Amino acid sequence: MITIENLSVAFDGTEVVKHVSLQLEDGEILGVVGESGSGKSVTALTLMGLAPAAAQVTSGRILYDDVVLQEAGRPCDKALYEKYQGARMSMVFQEPMTSLNPTKRVGGQVEEVLKLHTKLAKEESRSRVLETFAAVGLHDAEKVYASYPHQLSGGMRQRVMIAMAVILHPGLIVADEPTTALDVTIQNQIIALLQEINQKQKNAMLFITHDLNLAKRLCQKIAVMKDGCVVEYGTGEEIFGNPRQAYTKELIEAVPSRLKKRRILKAPSNMADEMNVGIPKAPSNMADEMNAGMPKASVNMAKRKITGTLHSAEQGSSILQVRNLSVFYQEGSNSLFSRNKKRCVVSGAEFDIYSGESLGLVGESGCGKTSLSKAILGMNRDIQGNIIHHSLRPQMIFQDPYSSLNPAKTIGWLLQEPLRAAGALDKSLAMTKADMETAAYDMLRRVGMGEKYFHRKPSQLSGGQRQRVSIAQALITNPGFIVADEPVSALDVTIQAQIMELLQQLQQEMKLSCLFISHDINVVYQMCDRIMIMKEGRIIEIGETEEIFHHPREEYTQLLLCNS
Amino acid sequence: MKQSGSGKWNKYFVAGLFMTGLAVLLGIVGFFWTPYSTTEMSAAEKFAAPSMQHLFGTDNFGRDIFSRVMQGLGTTISISSLVVLCSGSVGILLGAVTGYFGGLLDEVVMRITDALNGFPSILLTLVIISVLGSGRQNVIISLGLVFVPSFVRIVRSEFIRLRDMDYIKRARLMGVGKLRILFVHILPNIFSVFWVSVMIGFNNAILAESGMSYLGIGVQPPDASLGKMLSDAQGYLQSAPWYALAPGLTIVWVVLGFSLFSEGIRRNQ
Repeated sequence: MITIENLSVAFDGTEVVKHVSLQLEDGEILGVVGESGSGKSVTALTLMGLAPAAAQVTSGRILYDDVVLQEAGRPCDKALYEKYQGARMSMVFQEPMTSLNPTKRVGGQVEEVLKLHTKLAKEESRSRVLETFAAVGLHDAEKVYASYPHQLSGGMRQRVMIAMAVILHPGLIVADEPTTALDVTIQNQIIALLQEINQKQKNAMLFITHDLNLAKRLCQKIAVMKDGCVVEYGTGEEIFGNPRQAYTKELIEAVPSRLKKRRILKAPSNMADEMNVGIPKAPSNMADEMNAGMPKASVNMAKRKITGTLHSAEQGSSILQVRNLSVFYQEGSNSLFSRNKKRCVVSGAEFDIYSGESLGLVGESGCGKTSLSKAILGMNRDIQGNIIHHSLRPQMIFQDPYSSLNPAKTIGWLLQEPLRAAGALDKSLAMTKADMETAAYDMLRRVGMGEKYFHRKPSQLSGGQRQRVSIAQALITNPGFIVADEPVSALDVTIQAQIMELLQQLQQEMKLSCLFISHDINVVYQMCDRIMIMKEGRIIEIGETEEIFHHPREEYTQLLLCNS
Repeated sequence: MKQSGSGKWNKYFVAGLFMTGLAVLLGIVGFFWTPYSTTEMSAAEKFAAPSMQHLFGTDNFGRDIFSRVMQGLGTTISISSLVVLCSGSVGILLGAVTGYFGGLLDEVVMRITDALNGFPSILLTLVIISVLGSGRQNVIISLGLVFVPSFVRIVRSEFIRLRDMDYIKRARLMGVGKLRILFVHILPNIFSVFWVSVMIGFNNAILAESGMSYLGIGVQPPDASLGKMLSDAQGYLQSAPWYALAPGLTIVWVVLGFSLFSEGIRRNQ
């Protein structure tokens, strides 16, 4: 039994974990849920004795079956922990890529644990490893035993990590976001495996996650953490059925789910014309509407764009037509003398995106969604088939908010750059300095950020704020069509909900079409009018959102749906 | 709690700033004024030990060593600065273009820099000097050429790292011109790395310039230079050790100062 009593942990005098008390019985799974910076990982690392040297326990203590592991005012007892780590408590990390040594065969790495803590003979320990591999669902254990980490898939690597964690039947397993880096279908298998191990070995499990739904499925008890404090602690039913804290409610609300009603934002009633989304309209009408919703400075631009695409607006209003598209990928380095091999990553893609519509693209990693989007935007020109754009310069929003803004520039400069670029390419679109500045301030306001951010640099912004600036930068020239590649996947749930709402609102205001790429089918459900499912480079199903969710035709779609 | 030695005014930075500042100041003053003439000889004052009149003593011709060190510093620092400026600019241009575009040009430029790297640098400068002839200008050209490959490599690798960043992809989608992407979007992001290599390059240039003067292929007499003074002092190590110590310690002072200065800047980041 693990008891954490009134634990506080501080870095340089700043408390990041505040008076946390948790109790974990044998055979129980306790979920610790919270957003980044909530102190959940520090709590777990302190429990494991793996916290960085700068972390100090300032109050409370940690007990493992009545043995005090950590106590306030006492430095972490390394010798004591060495006896416990591995043998009686073990940890599974998020990133299976970096938690295994790439230069050693995985069998040997797991055997190392046995060597350190038991006196088994070589043959015995080998058979013990093979047994454990089989128990964690690694078929062909012999082959896995002799493999290097890079020869295994992400899911298999995570299974090896779990094998390493459970091989000595420890009393406590700490799992820190063990499924976050995995695809949904694999994620489900790993969850099932953890559950099975827990039932068989009757060990206590601390499961750390940012995903409330996952915690609900797996854990008997859940602790919700915020700013270092446990704000709510109870069984899954208690927390989901009757959340007492406002924050917990907010968290539950924020999780995208198809059980919740889709937020379809409608424009204010005085703009009646906007109500009929998706229905082709007379172009002149549309141009006027654009002007109404647009910041003053970019009015000119909007008008020009519309006249530019007038022709297409009459043809059933499609903004992008993709016909029989295949995308190839150059394998091997692009050096002078190496022969390049071509691999087809997308084949026979065919679809339309209509004006004002958002089309969701769902698939697991490696299915070709990113390659398809790159081809559409002209970043990969190694293609066959036709891509017909009816928008001038489509933009893209990337997943990682930390690498999508130039760190050397201020937010104001970044927002004006698309306008400068457009002006340089087409003299008729050139704007004066003052106009560009006005437009940038206006766009900043429209993505819900204050004027004070204008002169800041990206490093001074949080992930959510950066994503807002990315969106502002993509939309300031009113491109008409954007590709959003997992725009909310790297964000915390509450921030995720805000960004999704912002995107939907801007889409409505600016009559924007969007190709929305995600691995999370629930996010897509909230965001998109139609959904396209991709598997192994092929589009296997495409249809209205409700249709796909309620009557999926393909088996793979059904699998995706029931796994999330 | 900050790790000791980090922060804007860390010890490295302060010490480096003081040492280089003093050296640069002396060098600049040395261009316009020195306590004594650097060329006037005086048989009466041959090998005078350091004193209040002659801070570093006098040499075999009775010239004031302190004055000559001041002039030598000026020569050394100005030559090294110009070398770094030239090779740094060429390095940025070549590194940016090859790193960003890759392809045939990249392959050709990189093989040429490999070839340049293959020679010991002092041998290469010797060859260039013997072709072009000696003189201040040719010293700068030859050292500049020798220093280009290291800058190209650093700039190129940074451009390769940054060219696939999401923000550069987005700039391309916006229709930003190629030159603007290279020098407005990417270049400011490599400055922290580039600055350190400039500092190291500057130190190497000081040592290389002194080395060339020592071998007699650098600045020609009667202009003073630290390396030349060192080689002249060689015969008098026993009788007048200050003659060798003054320029030698000055070189150490400048190089150490710059190392500390660049370390201080690196820790600030």
